[in-house]
Amino acid sequence: MLALKLAIRNLISAGLKTWLNVFVLSLSFVLLVFYNGMIDGWDRQAEVDTKAWEVAEGQYWVPGYDRYNPFTLQDAHQELTAEVQQMIATKQLLPILMREASAYPEGRQQSAVLKGMDVSQTMLKLPLNDLQNVADPASAVIVGRRMAETLDVEVGESFLIRWRDVNGAFDARMFMVVSTFDCDVASIDAGQIYLDIEVLREMCLMSDEASILVTDLEEAPELAGWDFKNNDFLLSDMKALIKSKRTGGYFMTFMILLIALLAIFDTQVFSVFRRQKEIGTYIALGMTRRRVVSIFTIEGATNSVLAGLLAAVYSTPLFIYLSKNGIAFGAMADGTGLTIGEAIYPYYSMGLIMTAVLLIVVSATIVSYLPSRKIAKINPTEAIRGKVS
Amino acid sequence: MEKQFPVGKSFFTALRDVNLDFGEGEFAGLVGPSGSGKTTLLNIIGSLDQPTKGDAEVMGKSISELNHKQAAQLRNEHIGFIFQTYNLLPVYTVFENVEFSLLLQNHTAAERKKAVMEALDWVGIADKAKLKPSTLSGGECQRIAIARAMVKKPKLVLADEPTANLDSKNSHHILQTMKKLNEELKTTFLFATHDEKVMGYLDRIVKLEDGRVVEDLVNEKLKM
Repeated sequence: MLALKLAIRNLISAGLKTWLNVFVLSLSFVLLVFYNGMIDGWDRQAEVDTKAWEVAEGQYWVPGYDRYNPFTLQDAHQELTAEVQQMIATKQLLPILMREASAYPEGRQQSAVLKGMDVSQTMLKLPLNDLQNVADPASAVIVGRRMAETLDVEVGESFLIRWRDVNGAFDARMFMVVSTFDCDVASIDAGQIYLDIEVLREMCLMSDEASILVTDLEEAPELAGWDFKNNDFLLSDMKALIKSKRTGGYFMTFMILLIALLAIFDTQVFSVFRRQKEIGTYIALGMTRRRVVSIFTIEGATNSVLAGLLAAVYSTPLFIYLSKNGIAFGAMADGTGLTIGEAIYPYYSMGLIMTAVLLIVVSATIVSYLPSRKIAKINPTEAIRGKVS
Repeated sequence: MEKQFPVGKSFFTALRDVNLDFGEGEFAGLVGPSGSGKTTLLNIIGSLDQPTKGDAEVMGKSISELNHKQAAQLRNEHIGFIFQTYNLLPVYTVFENVEFSLLLQNHTAAERKKAVMEALDWVGIADKAKLKPSTLSGGECQRIAIARAMVKKPKLVLADEPTANLDSKNSHHILQTMKKLNEELKTTFLFATHDEKVMGYLDRIVKLEDGRVVEDLVNEKLKM
């Protein structure tokens, strides 16, 4: 307690030097919390959105289907068994039939995937019910905002779609965009055209067939003839990408932290040299060397505590604002094909804040201790006269 | 007792064949030119240094056998230091500087306050308790140093050239203060000095030359 009291007194008396160190260190606090809060927010948002719009609690795939290999799409369809039909009827499964197609908006060719889904489904947030109550359900599609921009079509406009049926025969007809939707999950928007599954089955002669089955059951049962993919698998790419961004953030934070710690280290080295007379006096007055070392170490560590307090003062309003209003990523999100919202709402958890505090306080204490160890070897008779070299 | 310091590959002998005994309540001085070994002897008695040969016994403790912690405890409990350059802690107020020794002894805040104000009263600067040392004169700073050394009522005060940076008037004032404390509290004072003003106040003068005791004089007043 005495060491802490003396350390704080010395720090405050050191004036500007202390506050410069504290300010730089506080930036580390803020950047560490800001960046990781943003990544956490993105992570949570992306997972929630992807589950809500695309994967629910998992998917069953036709064996051989690979979402990254378009050649597997051609054969990715199979007839639904009675068991599956029963689960679809009780809304435990949502069948999706996927077929490759070409769209021809104003004569341009655009590759696309046709996705047939139950128009009355409620498992995913996709607004398929817009396909109900239209004049011609057989020629109605919905697309995401990104796809509408790519095709350069608006609601009410039509364009030609060409596809192949189960026998490989080409067919084509005009489809009208009955609505568009806006979604953060780029993979269900870009290159995707949605229509009634019954219409697509009829177009492709694939009665009662589907390519994947989406389920919202937390304990998904085994289904014969289907490969179950849980969310660990389905979200793995997104998680890996976010993890890589987090690693980049760690590096940036580490660099800033390093600068701040170097400043503290430098100050400590300078302090031990400049304040040798004070050190000698402490020892002459009956303080043990260990206690003197602890005063200097605590002084350095107290920098980090003050930095945390300073950071809290100027960053708390900013963080509260950002967590409520988000950080706009609109233009960037569209080009990446990633699940990034128009705005990311950072998530500042207690765990994140405590980790930041712990990391900075511990590292500041260590870099404060290292130069302070020299005190233990100082000859007090020379230190008293300020003659330690 | 002997004390050597390494100088390159050889040694410099700062003290040799020193055999002295100081009693309780003495007001004594180690006198001699620069380099005669005064400060070295004072440092050994103050447990800040150790002899190379022989031993120094202070308050029944063998200095050679004390480890860092035991030496710190001896200084903390029984020894007060007064330095030529005062060695006050500039970031602390006068009160806090004097209080420092007591902080190491786990006194309560009320006890500390009473003792500090009493010590500042002894040296006549109680009205400057809230000031920083940088705002005070050299004489006043040395009085703070005396108060800091005396506040814990040590058995021994070691003063290394306490008047070297003071003018004549301040020197006499300081010396009178210390003499008064010596008489009232029976504290032993041991000076390292070559200031003749100091010598006039001493009851015993130990002359050192090249690390040897060449004379051990007791003041006429004591002889009577």
